[in-house]
Amino acid sequence: MQEQTLDCLGEACPVPLVKTQKALEDLAVGDVLIVQIDHSCAMKNVPEWAREAGHNVEIEEVDDGEWEIVIEKAK
Amino acid sequence: MLKKLSDAIGKNDYYKIWLKDAWPYVTGAVLLSVFQIGTLAVTGNPWGVSAAFANWGAWIIEAFGGSVEKWYYFSSDGAIAVLERGFLRDPATVRNLGLIAGALFSVLIASAFKIKKIKTKKQVVAAILGGLLMGYGARIGFGCNIGALYSAIGAFSLSGWVFAVFIFAGAIIGSKLLVKVFM
Repeated sequence: MQEQTLDCLGEACPVPLVKTQKALEDLAVGDVLIVQIDHSCAMKNVPEWAREAGHNVEIEEVDDGEWEIVIEKAK
Repeated sequence: MLKKLSDAIGKNDYYKIWLKDAWPYVTGAVLLSVFQIGTLAVTGNPWGVSAAFANWGAWIIEAFGGSVEKWYYFSSDGAIAVLERGFLRDPATVRNLGLIAGALFSVLIASAFKIKKIKTKKQVVAAILGGLLMGYGARIGFGCNIGALYSAIGAFSLSGWVFAVFIFAGAIIGSKLLVKVFM
């Protein structure tokens, strides 16, 4: 199992979502991708897409206006 | 004491539902519809955003001793009347200020305020270019996605649907460009 961090701080939509989709493509099933974001729209569309794609998703609020979306690639 | 209080509020379910988490799209849509009806009833004009910015520009020019009297855009009786009434007596201006204040309030109360770092020069160029293009486009199109799209469709105007077709076409081209430049 591999863990990878994707820095999307300071990036506006739809850049975090597109970057997440690309990064997940290169990972194997069971690997974990941690997406760092500070754009509240990305808080909605990144987890929404990841859940719809069937992955396990958890959101952590790390600071004021800063979140980490933890995605475990499920398929 | 304060720390205890803020911790207690932070754990409260209703704080989370109403103030912390983003509201569902439907809630937002219903509220926007209700408020735009109120706007139309109270001010006599449908909701618009970007037209006020052009007036801000005119007031700035006037503040520095310039004049927009001869500009075609400001030549109509309506435009002249709005400019003469001034900054704080323009409903669209006050509404825009309220929008900014409201956005700040909502992000503060959700304790999600953050000043974002500028990552690359590309972002600066894209923001300035994008802003100029949007502002210019909204003026020569006689409205932005609020005045010329949302309010127009709400008023059963065909022009709103024409605007919708082209704004979607523009958004598709824009997204492709954005992905190319920023990926």
